[in-house]
Amino acid sequence: MNAMERAVASVTFGEVDRVCTMPQVFGHAATVIGAPLGDYIRDGELIAKGQLAAMERYGYDVVYSVADVNIETEAVGSVLEYAHDDYATVSRHVVQDRSDLASLQVPNPTTDGRMPELLKAASILRREVGDEMMVTGCVMGPLTIATQMMGIENALFLAMDHPEDFEKLMDFATAVTTAFGTAQIDAGAHAVIVFNPSCSPAVVPPAFFREIEQPRLKRVFQALTEAGGAVNWIAVAGPTAPNFPGYVEAGVQLACIDYYVSGEEAARLLPETCVGGNIRPMDFENCDPDDIARQSVELLDAMAHRSGFILSSGCEIPPKSKPENIDALVTAVLA
Amino acid sequence: MTKGNGTASSTMEQLIAALLDGDRKLSLEAAKELAAAGVTTKTIVQDGVQVAMRSLNDKCTVEDFNLLEVMLAGRAVTTVMKHFFPANEPAAQGLGTVVVATLEGDVHDLGKNILRMVLTGSGFRVVDCGKNCSVDRLIDTVVEHEPDFVGISGLITSVSPLVKTVKTRLEKHGLGHIKVLAGGAALKQASPELLNVDFVAETAFDGADYVTSVTGGGAA
Repeated sequence: MNAMERAVASVTFGEVDRVCTMPQVFGHAATVIGAPLGDYIRDGELIAKGQLAAMERYGYDVVYSVADVNIETEAVGSVLEYAHDDYATVSRHVVQDRSDLASLQVPNPTTDGRMPELLKAASILRREVGDEMMVTGCVMGPLTIATQMMGIENALFLAMDHPEDFEKLMDFATAVTTAFGTAQIDAGAHAVIVFNPSCSPAVVPPAFFREIEQPRLKRVFQALTEAGGAVNWIAVAGPTAPNFPGYVEAGVQLACIDYYVSGEEAARLLPETCVGGNIRPMDFENCDPDDIARQSVELLDAMAHRSGFILSSGCEIPPKSKPENIDALVTAVLA
Repeated sequence: MTKGNGTASSTMEQLIAALLDGDRKLSLEAAKELAAAGVTTKTIVQDGVQVAMRSLNDKCTVEDFNLLEVMLAGRAVTTVMKHFFPANEPAAQGLGTVVVATLEGDVHDLGKNILRMVLTGSGFRVVDCGKNCSVDRLIDTVVEHEPDFVGISGLITSVSPLVKTVKTRLEKHGLGHIKVLAGGAALKQASPELLNVDFVAETAFDGADYVTSVTGGGAA
């Protein structure tokens, strides 16, 4: 069974030869190849090189064409401040006030911002791993793009003070998610994670998610499926359990959960949806391999009753994590 | 809000309800009405703003905490507090002083802003060092203001090494008695020992509870 077959079987609750492992190794791949993170996130070739090296180093079941959470907002006009060996941050949001909404244009993923670099990374990774392993891209969900375009405080205040304008912003963000997500599939990604931290119940109430985000997510996943995406995949950190019914309604097939939600609870609430997770991300930096191994075994035991499970971290593994901790997670499935 | 014939106590209830609803306009109207009726600023803050903050605190458990609700209430609280303290003067509640900061390399200051709001609304004097703050500047601010606490919020993991140095730097200045608390998406995943701080807060309210428990105050 190759990694792709294992991943697909996990998502479809089929039989697997062992538990699929997909730790969220994004920026840590730069560390693996000794590249500064500031270079890695701007260079599609470096992303592909780092991902291939990390996958071979650790032996897990996925490669990610992923840079950071600011690809979309930069492509529509936000200004970023880059660091030498860290993630970039937004120094000026493209939407400063409501009057800016009228002039927004959906970006062209082949030309705007760093989107072309991510398409290049997906293309290289697909060429290198073929269909042996899931080449996985990433796009921000509509609410996350909206908050990255205005700053989270201003975006949420807009939602409360001027809901009609906020709806317009959300419709625009949905178009961006769809355009960039489908472009990654066209470029070679088998699947695209819809990364959506802003719709965590820690940020907005479940009713807000249900009314504002969920219908748009459903449209996004329909578009990704029509473009040939292999799996409808969502990743949201925080105490996400209240949103699980909305995941199902939106068509999610793989839900990455954070450490706030236990594997047992996720399995109970998502009986027909594959669950990925959920070792505490900072533990890869702060703990030792015995801790990670113990947590991994406990999680594997808790999820042993179902095949729809993928062992992973709860969110991104911090770039400067200890390599031996990632080894501990990957080797746990072999014990 | 019913205006004109309400008693001070019913207007206080209206203030509390408006703050919890995040309704800035009604909050300010109620606060002004109370002041016009002769209720002191201190009473409005203690019996109105702080009661609303306690209610929000009770509601916002770790499992049921959402940023939007807290931001809206926080904006209303800030509107009322700015009305009474237009020069950003600290509320004279005598509960203590907290210096808050988001450290160098981290420009995500929302968590810090919420902590500031919760502490201010709970009656503490808050000195805000802003975001992307160097440890040097933080220490200088602490030396200047001699707070009871230092609160550090961090969204990204790369600030952890800086956080670990704060307590040691304070001790070198003879300020080792000042309690240091940390919180935020990245820092709250670590233990106090690992970060070399006195307390790691799960939420801003958790941090305010800690500060209040140490000072023996009855606010947050």
